[in-house]
Amino acid sequence: MNPSVATPPPLPRPQLSSPEPDPADLEPVRGIGGTIEALLRRPGGVLHQLHQSDGSRLVAVMILVATLAAAAYGFIVGTFSGGSQLWAAPLKISAGLMFCGVICLPSLYVFACLSGSTARFVDVAGMVAGLMALMTMLLVSFAPVAWVFSQSTESLVSMGTLHLAFWLIATYFGARFLYRGMARLGARGEGAFYFWICLFIVVALQMTTALRPIIGPAGPLLPAVKRSFLQHWSEQLRSESAKDNPAANP
Amino acid sequence: MKLETPPFPALSCWRCLPELLRGKPAFLREWIEGSGGFRWRMCLAVIVAGAGLFGAAVGWWRSEAQAVITAIKLPCILLLTALGNAVLNGLLAPLLGLNLNFRQSALAVLLSFTLAAMILGSLAPLVAFLAWNLPTVGSAPGSLRVAHGVVLLMTVLTVAFAGGVSNLRLFQLLQSASANRAVARRILLAWLSTNLLLGTQLTWIARPFFGDPRLPVQWLRTDAFAGNFFEATATAARRVFTP
Repeated sequence: MNPSVATPPPLPRPQLSSPEPDPADLEPVRGIGGTIEALLRRPGGVLHQLHQSDGSRLVAVMILVATLAAAAYGFIVGTFSGGSQLWAAPLKISAGLMFCGVICLPSLYVFACLSGSTARFVDVAGMVAGLMALMTMLLVSFAPVAWVFSQSTESLVSMGTLHLAFWLIATYFGARFLYRGMARLGARGEGAFYFWICLFIVVALQMTTALRPIIGPAGPLLPAVKRSFLQHWSEQLRSESAKDNPAANP
Repeated sequence: MKLETPPFPALSCWRCLPELLRGKPAFLREWIEGSGGFRWRMCLAVIVAGAGLFGAAVGWWRSEAQAVITAIKLPCILLLTALGNAVLNGLLAPLLGLNLNFRQSALAVLLSFTLAAMILGSLAPLVAFLAWNLPTVGSAPGSLRVAHGVVLLMTVLTVAFAGGVSNLRLFQLLQSASANRAVARRILLAWLSTNLLLGTQLTWIARPFFGDPRLPVQWLRTDAFAGNFFEATATAARRVFTP
């Protein structure tokens, strides 16, 4: 090996662990509609295309889908309080999700490499974009249910719990997509993957507290007091139970 | 050390990093056996960048000035530990059964620090996010005390994780080079002990990293050279166990 070579020859592209992909996966994924359909029906096709030379274009489309879908779901979240939350909630949810993806991406790439995966940075970025796009599309599909509930309750805790449940279901399917992608690129062992998913979930939950209020009535755009999401939730629970039972908390 | 694997194609700096993380023993061996300043420069750059980013994220909890100070101190500690133990580690390897020369053993130790720095750097955005979300100077004393504990715990866990993974890679490298698990274990333990001894003392001298919020932001404490890490641990243990 000559380590001092100034212009190294190009490396061969890392190989997928499955040498013969499903023929359906080889069909190109094009446009926003095609990307949404591929993420839902043939995620293998998305993962295959991410690995091709035009993978970065697909990453951009998935980020666009995730941003738009998060904003759409955010609008439904904002309808609970109305007013300026109609624009603040979509803005906070889509920006918070993107920020969450960006700060978690470097650790996923390093964990993927530690697991022996041959993934390139753009592959990992694409898988995170796919995770977020799939998550937010599922959230949009839950939006009508969320809207019906938001119009029939005044309880902030009930709405928060409902949104949290929808988000966890969506994250499960997003994580499944990510897991498939990692396995396809040769990652061994599952420990690093599960650890990263836990990190992602905790960061996303904390983001909801860092950007509060998202569901509740509009206040300052960002909070002045810093809290952990667990502390914030327990305070919300206490204040709601005090409202329900004023005699218990004179 | 005998090279049994075919040489790897020359890799650029950025393409080497993921290969080092993947830790294929043959690649790691090739890495320490090859010659040229490229490897040293890359290790240096990654340690400065990775450990620096992590240091900045940790120090940011206290203040921007502390972030800059910790970003400088943390890479310095790693590099000084590697430098200070280079001769000793180079002597220990052949004594314990592996015929590595000084350059190779120094590069192997530096490699494990580089891996740790890469992991720390990748976690730096998450640590910064946590620091941003914690109460800082000016908050109520109770919540400030909890926040200080959270930063301490998070720093210890992150460094332990990065150190654990990088030493696992170092063990794999030593095992591949020696073809003997026992020899690899002996050398790893010896290197770990020497690095731990010097590293903890350098860390002790270089405190604060995020600092007690009641104390001012400083490059070094006024009592930086008073006592050492092990004395302080023993004193703390005595306080806990004696009435």
